[in-house]
Amino acid sequence: MPKHIVRLIALMVAGLALGLIAKWFFTVESFYEYGHYRANSVPEIAAQEPAYKTARYCQSCHSERHAQWSANNHKTVNCETCHGAAKGHPQKAKLTIPADTRKLCTLCHEAMPGRPRTQPQIALTQHSGGQQCVVCHNPHAPKLAGVVAKMAGDAAAGSKKHAASCASCHGAAGISPNDTWPNLAGQNAAYLVRILGAYKSGDQTDVMMSPIAKTLSDADVQNLAAYYAGLSCKAAPSEGRAGDAGAGKALAKNCAACHGETGIASNPAWPKLAGQRAGYLVNALKAFRAGLRKDPMMAGVTRGLSDADIANLAAYYAAQSCEPVTQARKTQ
Amino acid sequence: MKQETISSLVARRAFLRKIGRAATCAGAIATAGALGVTQKVAAKSEPASSRGSFPTPDYDWTKRRWGFGVDATKCIGCLRCVEACKRENNVPADAHHFNTWVERYVYLEGEAKARVDSQADPQNVAASGSEKEYRFDNRYQDSKVEKAFFVPKLCNQCEHPPCVQVCPTGATYKTKDGVVLIDSKYCIGCQYCVQACPYGARYFNVRTRVTQKCYWCYHRITKGLQPACVEACPVGARIFGDRNDPQSPISLFIRNNRVQVLRPETGNAPNVFYVGIDKEVG
Repeated sequence: MPKHIVRLIALMVAGLALGLIAKWFFTVESFYEYGHYRANSVPEIAAQEPAYKTARYCQSCHSERHAQWSANNHKTVNCETCHGAAKGHPQKAKLTIPADTRKLCTLCHEAMPGRPRTQPQIALTQHSGGQQCVVCHNPHAPKLAGVVAKMAGDAAAGSKKHAASCASCHGAAGISPNDTWPNLAGQNAAYLVRILGAYKSGDQTDVMMSPIAKTLSDADVQNLAAYYAGLSCKAAPSEGRAGDAGAGKALAKNCAACHGETGIASNPAWPKLAGQRAGYLVNALKAFRAGLRKDPMMAGVTRGLSDADIANLAAYYAAQSCEPVTQARKTQ
Repeated sequence: MKQETISSLVARRAFLRKIGRAATCAGAIATAGALGVTQKVAAKSEPASSRGSFPTPDYDWTKRRWGFGVDATKCIGCLRCVEACKRENNVPADAHHFNTWVERYVYLEGEAKARVDSQADPQNVAASGSEKEYRFDNRYQDSKVEKAFFVPKLCNQCEHPPCVQVCPTGATYKTKDGVVLIDSKYCIGCQYCVQACPYGARYFNVRTRVTQKCYWCYHRITKGLQPACVEACPVGARIFGDRNDPQSPISLFIRNNRVQVLRPETGNAPNVFYVGIDKEVG
């Protein structure tokens, strides 16, 4: 073989060898282990710490909230969807939801073309009257106890039952003679059915009411509700109480979304408060605040009320006309 | 003159001789080196069994085949997925970089083409009030809308990913369990992959100088968690699971629905399956 060819071959071999050495030198550990990439990068990526910790992480401390949330409509909405990622909590950060819940809740619930019909949607301007969502809705159990019970009561039969069982305390015409017992005349029938049902089932207890309600049949409950709803609620204004109705009016703005501006509830499943006995209202609000009467919504809104606030609210509602506002306008 | 030429010739010959010797030496070293390389390669490609389970002690990627489903009929466009993803994966908190995003398609009466916008649209950014928060504005509330829907989008983790094909450094690759990952240490930021992706799923992070994209929260799914967007979705519009398990959410989703993929004509064989999208969605 000619010398120059030998040299050429030698040079090529040398070049190849140099190339291979360079490749060996520059190829990092674990490259080509599974393919044309650095296998060690896979465990590196897998080792990143998750920021979202899932509801189970939250449950380990907030078990009570978790139980309420997981039993209600928002159970498909995980804790961190509203509260934000739990990484760093509780050591570094509190996970409160944004103060402006009107902005937060409408992310999902603003009526918008393109949203599926099954999604509950509201037009904000027509829905809340400018209130924050959490005033009425508990985010962990957002559905209000506003399911209107089916009404099929017979007022005449209810009248007889009333005379036999209820009149001695609640008054012959459903107007209570005692400041601590509620007026029933003109009350929303659906609310009465719900609340009597609660006494009957034991969900709500009262020394007087519980034994009486347990003797009532479902038909009795319906009849009584129909009877009271049909009565005139006009009563002699209850005597002056300690509360300041003016201060109560300002506070009552927080209640207006459900109970109406003057205490005429927008939904028949919630009670009318207008013209109600002030003493009864005070007791009821204090019972909600103490957790003796159980209602997720009322528990939330009464938590921040002082005794003076409660007295003022009661005085305000007691002083209102129990006739519906629309009717009042007509008669004017 | 001639003398100089001859002397330079002599010098060249001497030089070539030296090179020749050097080459012989190099050849010898190379043989040894090549031997070393083969050993090294052999060591590098030792079977996975010797590593135990890979990539983590509790997770074996040969046992899984991940899949993702999107039920656009359920999506409400709340963009909780987008915010969750940003937080989970250190995506730049602005209105231009997204691992996952949501598009809104609106057909108005009398218009043949859909109007499309996403959370990055300036009007939507204005509605949210900040580039770090995301929401769709209600611009169509008073229009006559014939049809409208939201479509969540993310990396399709294609079976034949074009981004992997064009990567010059092996910085992006497909794992055995079906996720396309990016090795940020090996990415040189050339952005070929950004251009190769027909779905626009990749973007270049100017701060870190590497390409980023959705990786189905690989750090979560290898720990038995759901991807952050699936975790955050309040309506179950995003479905994730192991296709090797016939009872997993994704297997049931694919079996019980007529699913489709985006741009099947590209031949990439995407692994994100859609229900309830329209002809214009690509």
